[in-house]
Amino acid sequence: MENIRIKATNRSPAVSFDFARHHLRIKGESYPEDVLAFYGPILASLDAYLVSLRSGRCRCDLALVYFNSGSAKALMLLLEKLDEAAARGAAIEIYWYYDEKDDTMKELGEEFGEDLRHAAFHMEVMQR
Amino acid sequence: MLAQELLDIRFALRRRGIIFAYSGYVTESVLTGLGEALKQKLTMEDASTKTMRSVFAVFVEQMQNIIRYSAERLPPDAEDEAFTLRYGLLTIAQENGDYIVYTGNLVQRADVERMRLYLAEINGLDKKELKTRYREQLRLGPGTLPRSAGIGFIEIARRVSKPLKYDFVDVDDQTAFFALKASI
Repeated sequence: MENIRIKATNRSPAVSFDFARHHLRIKGESYPEDVLAFYGPILASLDAYLVSLRSGRCRCDLALVYFNSGSAKALMLLLEKLDEAAARGAAIEIYWYYDEKDDTMKELGEEFGEDLRHAAFHMEVMQR
Repeated sequence: MLAQELLDIRFALRRRGIIFAYSGYVTESVLTGLGEALKQKLTMEDASTKTMRSVFAVFVEQMQNIIRYSAERLPPDAEDEAFTLRYGLLTIAQENGDYIVYTGNLVQRADVERMRLYLAEINGLDKKELKTRYREQLRLGPGTLPRSAGIGFIEIARRVSKPLKYDFVDVDDQTAFFALKASI
């Protein structure tokens, strides 16, 4: 599968989905002009990848300093997809990195984490 | 005279503690540019990381609400959203140690009652209930990425330190001016 590499802009995060290494990473700020245009293709690739993953392992790092309410929906969909793959037998590890000076992002991480039933969810302080 | 007139506007803004003001058509690139300037300004102010991010988050949601929902638009009968300009006003002020984000834009009078009810409801929720509502809104329409002002107002309410203030005044038969005050 074609890996995904998107450079960060001032409104969208850096995305690096290395499917061969089973490592997905989203890092930065997220309030893109068009959430659907930005996250749509990423979520579609993720779907295809997760089908092929079966009972394999995958790590997903989310290191966001800020995301708007539109992006929250996309992130929730991403986490749901990972959780569904875990329900089907994949070993999914999700790491949520937050800035310790901003408890809003910590809270949001806890909320997203609470909704996961099958994937392992970890919270870590972001290294500045 | 010219300089005096503009200076008077500037003084009038300053008297109200306004450090940032925009009144005009808002596009996504206006949001990007103003957002960058606002970030720089907040960094210089030495505000805490949490305050800075909250002011910025409220700014983004309010600007996007104008871009999507302001009833004052050009051309007035535009069908293609990508070529529609929407008018709104946004200021950021400092008042007694708080940052205040004010926005104003026209809305349809037919929507006023519904907006009042919704904002009153959001204002009546505590932080925990807001959290629950935020999650509920995220879960609306599974598998899709809908557009909704609803979650924007919840995001704003989660970031503020005081209840939201809002008001409407009729402009003509069709439209009313909507003003929102968010304190961080």
